[in-house]
Amino acid sequence: MDILIHDLSEEQFQSLFGTVDKNVRIISDTGAIRCCTGCFGCWIKTPGRCVLKDGYGDMGEVLSKSEKVTVISRCFYGSYSPFVKNVFDRSIPYLLPFFKIKNNETHHKRRYQNNINLAVHFYGENITEEEAETAGKLVKANCTNFYVTNYEISFSKSLKELKEKVSAV
Amino acid sequence: MNICILNGSPKAGKSTSELLIEYLSAYFGGNETVTFNVCKTHLSEEQFSRIQNSDALVFVFPLYIDGINSRLLRFLIELEKRGFADKSTLVYCIINNGFYEGRQNAAAADIMKNWCKAVGLTYGQTLGAGAGEMLPFLKNIPLGHGPNRNLGIAFRELSRNILSLKCGEDMFVSPNWPRFLWKIASSLKFWYPRAKENGIKRKRLKDKVS
Repeated sequence: MDILIHDLSEEQFQSLFGTVDKNVRIISDTGAIRCCTGCFGCWIKTPGRCVLKDGYGDMGEVLSKSEKVTVISRCFYGSYSPFVKNVFDRSIPYLLPFFKIKNNETHHKRRYQNNINLAVHFYGENITEEEAETAGKLVKANCTNFYVTNYEISFSKSLKELKEKVSAV
Repeated sequence: MNICILNGSPKAGKSTSELLIEYLSAYFGGNETVTFNVCKTHLSEEQFSRIQNSDALVFVFPLYIDGINSRLLRFLIELEKRGFADKSTLVYCIINNGFYEGRQNAAAADIMKNWCKAVGLTYGQTLGAGAGEMLPFLKNIPLGHGPNRNLGIAFRELSRNILSLKCGEDMFVSPNWPRFLWKIASSLKFWYPRAKENGIKRKRLKDKVS
């Protein structure tokens, strides 16, 4: 399964990408998403599943079934947008609470063994060099923690430019 | 001087950020200090004004997926929109993560640096601490001693810089405690007992959802 996580409005998405392949699972902002409260319920209460019931509680399972994850996000200070970051924050049940040492650093052990290819497409009119550098650092760290071996990252100044770069849909 | 501490932890109960704020506040006797939790409450206009007119802003928050949690991020965007008429405020951060290494807070510190540039404020310094979940277990050990040795040294420097409104190099500290012991303790003293409280057996923690 392919996944597309994006923060575009429905109108923006439709005008850019039109109809999407039905095998692609779209995760977009319905307005219902709740923030991770760091309760660790997804590790110690309902292992593998978030305890919040808002339609975004199955991110661990969704990632476990995906081969390609495409992310479209406005860039804020070198970070994802709040919605996209919220989806990432809710994705920790993909991992186990236990630690292992990897590249001389501690990281969570993996719950699943699937390999994810990640493509992150940032957009924004005024992304600075420092912000792009930080975003690169952030995505790289995410890939280390989520066991992603292949990833690509792009930056677009406009939605038109973004459309040319996104090949997943 | 006016110091405003912003707790950016969305945690429902007592958080490590709260403990770190207690440690920091102990250095600020005689100064006007206020603390707001920006992830749990909607701030009033008066509180926003207090933030915008501080000599020093100190953001204290946990690392979420290598960066800043979505709620705090929304707050930062809101603050940027409101703006700072007085650009003399210095911004400091205390970030804690659940890994062992404090250096894993580096990307989050860079995001805060970029935010400072976007709003036109001066970035002061970040203290990035590792082993955040362990710190409440060590609260009876004074800062600067035993496993809290490195954290204590970093707190002394950070508080000195805040009180003199100076900038400093970012400091990333891990506990003064062997990593392999921390790793074993995290399972035996933290995850297993907490799962047991919820009636979850050890092997179920590795369940796959399908």
